Amino acid sequence: MKKLILAAAAVLALGTAAQAQETIRIATEGAYAPWNYVNEAGELAGYEIDLGNAICETAGLTCEFVSNDWDSIIPNLLAGNYDLIMAGMSITDERMETIDFTQNYFPPDPSKFVAMAGTGMDPENLEGKRVGVQGGTIQAAYAEENLASNNTIVSFTTADQAMADLAGGNLDTIIADGAYLEPVVAASGGAIEFVGEDIMIGNGVGAGIRKDETELKTKIDDALTALKADGTVDKLIAQYFEGRGPFYGE
Amino acid sequence: MSEDLAFWLSYLTNGKHLTWYASFQFTIFAAIAGGTLAVIFGLLGAALKNSRFLPLRLVGSFYSSIVRGVPDVLFFLFFPLAFEQAVEWFMATQICTPEAIAAQSAAWPPCREANWFLGTPEYLVLASVSLGLVYGAFATNVIHGAMRSVPRGQIEAARAYGMSASQVLWRIQIRQMWVYALPGLSNVWMLIVKATSLLSLLQIADIVLWADRLGAPNFLPTVGLVHDDWRWRYYLVLFLFYILVTLLSEKVFGALMARMGRGILSEART
Amino acid sequence: MDRFLIDLGIFAPAALFNIYFAVASIPLGFVFAVFLALGKASKNPIASRLSRGFIYAFRGSPLFIQFFMVYSLGLSFNVSLWKPLGISGFVLHPLFIGPLVLTLNTAAYTAEIFYGALRAVPRGEVEAARAYGMSPIQQFRRVIWPNLIRLAWPAYTNEVVFLFHATAIVYFALPVIGQQKDLMITAKELFERDYNAFLHFSVAALYFLAVSLVVFFVFGLVYQRLMRHMPSAPRMRYVPKWIR
Repeated sequence: MKKLILAAAAVLALGTAAQAQETIRIATEGAYAPWNYVNEAGELAGYEIDLGNAICETAGLTCEFVSNDWDSIIPNLLAGNYDLIMAGMSITDERMETIDFTQNYFPPDPSKFVAMAGTGMDPENLEGKRVGVQGGTIQAAYAEENLASNNTIVSFTTADQAMADLAGGNLDTIIADGAYLEPVVAASGGAIEFVGEDIMIGNGVGAGIRKDETELKTKIDDALTALKADGTVDKLIAQYFEGRGPFYGE
Repeated sequence: MSEDLAFWLSYLTNGKHLTWYASFQFTIFAAIAGGTLAVIFGLLGAALKNSRFLPLRLVGSFYSSIVRGVPDVLFFLFFPLAFEQAVEWFMATQICTPEAIAAQSAAWPPCREANWFLGTPEYLVLASVSLGLVYGAFATNVIHGAMRSVPRGQIEAARAYGMSASQVLWRIQIRQMWVYALPGLSNVWMLIVKATSLLSLLQIADIVLWADRLGAPNFLPTVGLVHDDWRWRYYLVLFLFYILVTLLSEKVFGALMARMGRGILSEART
Repeated sequence: MDRFLIDLGIFAPAALFNIYFAVASIPLGFVFAVFLALGKASKNPIASRLSRGFIYAFRGSPLFIQFFMVYSLGLSFNVSLWKPLGISGFVLHPLFIGPLVLTLNTAAYTAEIFYGALRAVPRGEVEAARAYGMSPIQQFRRVIWPNLIRLAWPAYTNEVVFLFHATAIVYFALPVIGQQKDLMITAKELFERDYNAFLHFSVAALYFLAVSLVVFFVFGLVYQRLMRHMPSAPRMRYVPKWIR
């Protein structure tokens, strides 16, 4: 019943705002499982796809996902090719200079180092090592700042390409989001392991949005608040990130 | 054994692979549209270069030499961006109010209303025009040279018949120049075909992007078949695909040349 | 204007990467191409088939895909081959794999040019050399090669410019290491910051144009020297066909 009233209210709100008919485009990378990926059926899938659709349903918006390369995902948002980024993007001060973020839909998550098992990699004392990152990520910025002086930083356009190079022995270690690496390590059957201490960078993952879109931002934020309150967000996190959460429930 | 076969057959026909196969349409569209536009721009460029009016001649020469003087990929990236910005700038002069411009915080476009959404179809068209412009510059030279290879006697005879300048151009020069232009145009076509591999740089989910995505190692059973780095196999398929297209193109152009060459003195066919 | 000058400064080190890729691959590609052209013209069916196949494959497929393929192929041999040999970091480095692929690519195109020139070498001169009792090696060094290089030089100049242009896609296909960025990556990154496509891409284009003109100038001088025995040395046109 409550849902019905909500839906009715949403329809009413829709009727009054003419431009609400406009499709909201959400950009994602499609190569960052389990956040966003292309499934066997050839469709975009993942935590952010389900969450994005839930947000749009709650906010009464018509949404459409588009995929865009990670390295140009912010510029193309600013250029107006889409209205929202949901691509496992961490909220950082640096990014806040150019774009805005909604509230986070994944809490601050440690970044981790991985290496092939038995290589004895020690991230505390990296010297002369080849460190792989995905270009334009917070980990890339971290590595550039803290590790570049006596190591080689190799940046790739997708995280999967970096994993391929690690597995192929062309990298000594990779630093990336814990939530991206955990399923990989678990599924590798012991071939890939975590090394060293976790690093806390970033303020959680949120949806990127242009600074002048205050109206849309409010809508998305409200929808996220509602979805967090009714447990949808935690449910989706539990579904896609094994053993994580609940983060937003009481 | 047959189980294996069935497994691979179903793997290679899953939705992700079907999307890959379907994405060949972008490549083929870009090649055909780009090729057609290149011939059109080439004819235009050659007409400009042949013009009796000096500024037009300069425009023609400038176009063909500057575009060829920079890498194709640079122009290929630059043109869609520049065109988008030009359109947005024009829209801005028409619809932006001063308040809207003041309210705009991003560097571009001037105001929100002047934004032009670019999706895959738009990018594909822009990419094709881009290819057409770049390789039109090459075609300009080919066609310009071919027009001059048309025997003078033919043109003089046409004039003597009382044909107007445009009649001479269309009925004699352009009609006859194809024989001389075809070898060069076939070369330009091969270049265009190879340049279609760059589509992914314009956010088009083309065959190269899908080859990367399909071949990238996958660790998660929920995502699909778990496998390690298979990218080179997928690239090998593309490598062979392009060689096959080259082979076919050569055959087609060879047949065309033989056909076009009928009734023309054999020395023209070198 | 100021921003233009600043851009010129930013792009200067980036241009070195493009120049490096070209300089590292042109001499090797040249030598390899001579062997390929001779192989293609050879009467030995194996040498001829192999050379033909190589030339056809590398001329018939996009350089972009050659880069991706060679890199991922190199990666798949890393653990079994490059690691034990201790050359892993070297083999998969863009500064090595870039010139490697460019060498293979330009060798194929250059070989086709040389092969065409080889067939155009006047038969009479070769027959005269044979009549003089020259060995095949002497024939090649004294008669065939001097003819071949003079015939092929204008087209080869063209190919060198094309190869330099081809260096623009190296970093679109290979990982970027540290701050090693070429003209295109620099232009793209600057564009993504302020959307000034006209400025950044024009500056990059200017560098490509400038180097292309230098290549034409230097190769033109070489051509004049090659042709100095002619009564009036044919001048090389500075806007040749520029087609690959």
